[in-house]
Amino acid sequence: MPLPPKGSELRVKIGGEAGFGIKAAGQTLARSFVHAGLEVFDLSEYPSLIRGGHNTYTLRISPRPISSHVETVDVLIALNRETVDLHLDELIDGGAVIFDPEATSTEGWLPSRKVRPVPVPLAKFAKEAGGPIMANTVALGATLALVHFPLEHLTEALSAQFAHKAPEIAEQNVAAATAGYAYVSKLAGDFWMKVEPEPDAPKRLLVDGNEAVGMGALAAGIGFYAAYPMTPASSILHFMAAHEREAGVVVKHTEDEIAAMNMVIGAAFTGTRAMCASAGGGFALMVEAFGMAGVSESAVVVGVLTRPGPATGLPTWTEQSDLRYVLHAAQGEFPRVVLAPGDRTDAFELTWKAFNLADQLQTPVIILGDSYLSDNRQSVPYFDLDAVEVDRGNLVAEGDIADHPEAVDEAGRYLRYRLTDYGVSLRALPGVTGAIQLANSYEHDEYGYGSAGEPADMRAAQNDKRMRKLELARTLVPRPALFGAEPAEADVAVLFFGTTKGPVLEAMRWLEPDGVKVAAMQVVTLSPFPADDVSVFLGAAKRTVIIEGNYTGQLQGLVREQCLRDVDETLHRYDGRPFSPEMVYAKLKEVADNA
Amino acid sequence: MPEVSEITGALAPTWCPGCGNFNMQKALAEVLAESGMRFEDYVMVWGIGCHGNGADFYRSQGFHGLHGRALPLATGIALTNPDLKVIVEMGDGDGYGIGGNHFIHSVRRNIDMVAIFHNNQIYGLTTGQASPTSEQFMKTPSTPGGVVEEPVNPVGVAVAQGATFVARGFAGDVEHLKSLYRQALAHEGFALVDVYQPCVTWNKVNTFKWFRDRVYKLEETEGYDPTSRTQAFDVSMSTFHELTCAPDECKIPIGVFYREEDSFTYQDGLPQLDRPMWKHAESPRDISAILEKYE
Repeated sequence: MPLPPKGSELRVKIGGEAGFGIKAAGQTLARSFVHAGLEVFDLSEYPSLIRGGHNTYTLRISPRPISSHVETVDVLIALNRETVDLHLDELIDGGAVIFDPEATSTEGWLPSRKVRPVPVPLAKFAKEAGGPIMANTVALGATLALVHFPLEHLTEALSAQFAHKAPEIAEQNVAAATAGYAYVSKLAGDFWMKVEPEPDAPKRLLVDGNEAVGMGALAAGIGFYAAYPMTPASSILHFMAAHEREAGVVVKHTEDEIAAMNMVIGAAFTGTRAMCASAGGGFALMVEAFGMAGVSESAVVVGVLTRPGPATGLPTWTEQSDLRYVLHAAQGEFPRVVLAPGDRTDAFELTWKAFNLADQLQTPVIILGDSYLSDNRQSVPYFDLDAVEVDRGNLVAEGDIADHPEAVDEAGRYLRYRLTDYGVSLRALPGVTGAIQLANSYEHDEYGYGSAGEPADMRAAQNDKRMRKLELARTLVPRPALFGAEPAEADVAVLFFGTTKGPVLEAMRWLEPDGVKVAAMQVVTLSPFPADDVSVFLGAAKRTVIIEGNYTGQLQGLVREQCLRDVDETLHRYDGRPFSPEMVYAKLKEVADNA
Repeated sequence: MPEVSEITGALAPTWCPGCGNFNMQKALAEVLAESGMRFEDYVMVWGIGCHGNGADFYRSQGFHGLHGRALPLATGIALTNPDLKVIVEMGDGDGYGIGGNHFIHSVRRNIDMVAIFHNNQIYGLTTGQASPTSEQFMKTPSTPGGVVEEPVNPVGVAVAQGATFVARGFAGDVEHLKSLYRQALAHEGFALVDVYQPCVTWNKVNTFKWFRDRVYKLEETEGYDPTSRTQAFDVSMSTFHELTCAPDECKIPIGVFYREEDSFTYQDGLPQLDRPMWKHAESPRDISAILEKYE
C-alpha cells in the first residue's frame, strides 16, 4: 500500500472511555497544528452514550494537502488498556504508544519489537498540575515532545481555550502540557518522527461540516433556524444558537421535528430565510410538511445529515443510505433540489447557494450530508466571503402590489400562484399593500383558494407550473465537479456523491506514483439529476466505478434510471464507517489493473 | 379598514346549514372589522377540518396548513415578523388530538398570538368519528361501543400549563364570543379561545339546545376571579360531564377563565426580533468576526 512515506505525515490516535474529554483534547491538538501552518483532518469515533464505552479521536497532520482520515496510526495515546487491545494493530512498525503504566498494564503487548513504548505518569503529572482530569493534556504535551514539535502552539491553544473560563484553569493546563513535554523530551528524544511548523502557510479555518453549514447559512442572511436535537445534526443547532443574538437570528429548539419544519415554512412565508436540519429519522417527521413546502411554493432549506438506519440505527456512525429517501420523500410530486457537499468547503458554499436556489425556485432545497461531514473537522482555506451573493428571486418585500401589474387580476387582486412560463410566480410578502394571499397545503387556484384547485384543469395547470421549475433549476444548480484526468485519458473513471469525495481524492494522490490515471466525478446536485453530464463522463471512460456508502447502490440506480447506462464495478460500505482511502485505492487499482 | 363584507368576501361557505362555524366567522369578521387593523396587519392560519375550509371563505393574508400543525406554522410567522398579528384557527381533533403536542408547547411558550379552537367534539370533515373532546361513552362510527377514554380538557390543560389567557365561548352566543375575541386580540401573549361549536350533522348529542340549557357566564358569577389560576383550574374541572347528565346537574362555564396581564411573552425573550427577519437577507451577512474564532 503506497501510503504517504513513513514520517511524511503524523497520525495520532487518542483512545479512552467516554467522559475522558478525548474529543476536546484532540481538537485542541488539532488547533495547535493548524496555528503552526499544518493541514489536519480529524475523525471522532464514539458510541451513543455519555459515560463509559470506548471513544477514539484520530488526528492526521501533514504539511501537504490531505482530504480524509487514514487507517494507520503513528502515535497511539492509550488512556486505558482497552485502547491498546483495540488499536495496537493500527500502529505502524516503530510507532509509539504513550500510556500511563499505572492505568495500562504492559502484559501481553510489551515488550514488542514493533512498538516504541512511551510510559508517562499521566495521572501523577495531571494531579500535580491541578487535577486528574488533565491527564489528556499531559499526553498532548508528551506527544509533541515525541515528534520534536515546539510546545508553544499547544500552550497558546490551551490558553485561548480556557481564557473565557478562568485564568487558573488555563495555567493548570499549560503546566500539565509542559510536564508531559519535559518528561518525554528526556525519555524519548531519539524518536524518529519529526514534525515542523510551516510558518509561511496561509491562514486556515478548522471547522467541521456542521459549522461550515452554519456559516453558510449565516452568510446567506438566515433569520430563522428551528430544530430538534438529533445526532449528527445537533451541533448546527448549537452553532446557530451560539450566534443568534450577535448575528440576528431567531433560533428555536422545537418540541419535535414536525414543529421545526412547519415553523420554518411559517418563517419563509414572512420572507425570512429559514432552515431546519436533522438526521434521517428527524427528517421522517418533517416529511409531510416538506411536501407542504412544495405545494405552497415555500422557499426553505432543509439539512439532512444522515447516519446508518433504519429507525434509530447507529446514531453516531456514518452512512450514505438516505439518498433515495430524500429524493422521494413526501406524497405527491413537486420539484426539489438536493445538494450533497463533499467536504467542508462544499458545505459552506452549497449552503449559501441553497438559500438562493430556494428563493429563485420558491421550492424546498435539501442539503444532504452525513456524520463523516458533520462530526469531523478539517483545516480548510479561508471561506471566500466575497463570493457570497444574495439572490432572492422574484420577491417583492415592500411597497404596493398595484405596482406589479403582472401579478394581479383585472380587479387588482394579487395572484400568488399565477401560472407562468417558467413556473415561478411573483412572491409578495405579507404586509405588502394589497398582497392579500392564501398559501395552501391544498392544491389551489392562482389566488391560493383550495376548493378552487379541485377542477381538473386547474389541478393540472398548477402541477405543470410547479414542475416547470425543474427545468429552470437545471440552469441554476451546481454541475458535477470533475477531478483528475479527462475520462477518455483515464484508466478508470469513478463516480460518487457526498463525503466519499475525501477518500477518493486522497486515493487519487496515492495512485499517481503508480502511474494509474483516474478521472473522478462528484455528483453535487442529485436533484435535478445531471443525466447529460454523467452520461458524457461515463460514456467517455474505459472502465467505470461507483463508490457509495450504502447496500443497494442508490446512486447506481439513479444512473441506470436517468442515464440508461450502468457502470463496470461498484464499491459499497454500510458498516457505519466511512470509506478509507486505503479501500478506495485498492478498488481503483484493481479495476485499472483488470482493464 | 376592511368592512365585514370584505373580510368574508372570498368564496361562498360550504359548511352545513346551521353549522356553528357560521357564527364563529360572523363574530370574528365583525371584531376584525372594528379592530382598526388593515388586511396587511394580520395573518390567519388554519389547520385541517371543517373549520379549515374557512380559509377559502375569508379574504385574508393566510396560510392553510397541515392537519394538526397550524400552531407551529403560525409560530414561524409570529417569530419572524413582529408587525403581523397572528390568528390561528384549529379544530378539536386537529389541535387537541394530532396536534396536541404543539398545543401544550405553544401554551407554555406564551407566544403572542390568538388561537381559536372550533370544538365540536366530533370529526366532521371525515364523517363523524370520535374526537379527543368527544364525551366518554359517546357512540360514533369509530367507537361503536362508546368512547372509552376521558375527553381532553383543553381549558384545564392550558391553565395548568401556564397559559396567560384562557377563554371558552359558545357559537350560539355571538355577542359573547365577540367580547372574548376582542379580549384575546388585545392580550399580549398566547390567547386561547376554545369555542363549543355544535356540529349539526354528526354530533346529535351536544347540540345548540344542549349547550343553551347548560352554559353560564363566568363574568356573571359572583366571586369569580379570572386572575386566580387555582380558581380557573377548579372551574375547568367542572366541565367534565356525561351524556346522561341533566341540565341542572352539570353547568358549563363560558367566558374568561384566566388572564394574566404583563406576562413575559416569547417575543419578549427575543431581543433580536426587532424587525421583520427578512431584512437580514437584503445582502450577505458579514461573518468575518465569527470565522476568526475558527482560525
